[in-house]
Amino acid sequence: MGSPLAKAIQLIFSANAELLNILSVTAKMSLRSSVLALLLGLPLGIWLGACRFPGRGALLVLNRTLMGMPPVVCGLIFYMLFSGVGPFRHLKLLFTVDIMVMAQVVLITPIVIGNMETYVAGVAPAVRETARGLGLSRLRTFVLLCNECVYQIISAYLMAFARSIAEVGAVSMVGGAISWKTNVMTTAIMQHTNRGNFTLGVALGLILLTLSLLVNILVSVLQRRLSR
Amino acid sequence: MKIAAFTKTYEERRVLDFPGGELLPGRIYAVIGANGSGKSTFARILAGALAPDKKTVHPDRFTVGYMPQRNYAFRMSARANILLGGKDPARAAELMEQLRIAHLADKRADRLSGGETARMALARLMMRRFDLVILDEPTAAMDMETTSLSEELILRYVKETGCALVLVTHSLQQARRVADEALYFHKGALLEQGPREVVLVDPVQPETRQFLEFYGL
Repeated sequence: MGSPLAKAIQLIFSANAELLNILSVTAKMSLRSSVLALLLGLPLGIWLGACRFPGRGALLVLNRTLMGMPPVVCGLIFYMLFSGVGPFRHLKLLFTVDIMVMAQVVLITPIVIGNMETYVAGVAPAVRETARGLGLSRLRTFVLLCNECVYQIISAYLMAFARSIAEVGAVSMVGGAISWKTNVMTTAIMQHTNRGNFTLGVALGLILLTLSLLVNILVSVLQRRLSR
Repeated sequence: MKIAAFTKTYEERRVLDFPGGELLPGRIYAVIGANGSGKSTFARILAGALAPDKKTVHPDRFTVGYMPQRNYAFRMSARANILLGGKDPARAAELMEQLRIAHLADKRADRLSGGETARMALARLMMRRFDLVILDEPTAAMDMETTSLSEELILRYVKETGCALVLVTHSLQQARRVADEALYFHKGALLEQGPREVVLVDPVQPETRQFLEFYGL
């Protein structure tokens, strides 16, 4: 393994065009999908965590189910919807980065919702009771609650990004892993390994692991700050 | 201030049965009783933090300030926390000085000790004038010195604002020091209510007598 590893490290620093393209497509997809998941999941997570209403329990169960949805199932659903026989075929989105983003949003949003709901459910009663005791308005209470969640929001985003960047099942099905177009790090690792080209696979694996490590360090730092 | 009768039931278990009553401005009412007697439930319902079984407890004609048993410190400085209660920085500084937490003004409130958080929460509440103030064991986490400072502040606040103040406390000595009247709760029912000299010194109900005797009073 010494030789492929050395070659992989060399490749990372050689600014290889294919490697740069894969990184660019991955960044484009992961940043877009994680930001969209955050925008959708954040208000829903806060709402589910802070409010009590009939049907909340059912929504939580649904969200937990979606959190555990196998990516290939998500990929299959999107494939069927957007393929030549699907109802949305006229949109011609199959094998584009856009549909990869859409599939990932479906996979990642429940993670953001679950993450936020758990935290908000723990902190909201005390915030609400204190704010009410001080005679603060509902809007002010909501702003205070959001302020209390700042680190959790960043943490939820980082988790969403980490999941997005490491996901392979759905993106390979709907993106097709087309070189120079929809090939992202995970699909490229599979593709190049299958071809026996370990150098690029190992190089991408190293980058992926480094990114994952960085994200986890950031999450740990935030969690330490959260734990007071 | 008229308070309507109310009850609170959890899963068919009646935990509180309050017959209603009246709170007079400028008076301090100590709420005493053993653990699980319904004191905090009474305070939370009165404050609007918990819904009773039926009816509105009091009309919205008067303002209510409430300091819960567990004080929440927002992730900001102690000063910013206190200024949530009112916008007057001079008043905030004065309160912090009185409660000896002025040196903690710029410290993150969520990193204060239990006693410091309680003093900050008390200062935060007293930034504003309320018609009715409810304090649920405000000095439970404080030492004797800061308890004394807090009691002085409570007495001054009531005198200055003319509010009615409900003080839930486990300390009968504290009730004797600051309260004008006392309400004794026993197994979710208001068993005895009256002037401090009666309820806390020579109560009518045998259960209240037993309670005082248990505390050696």
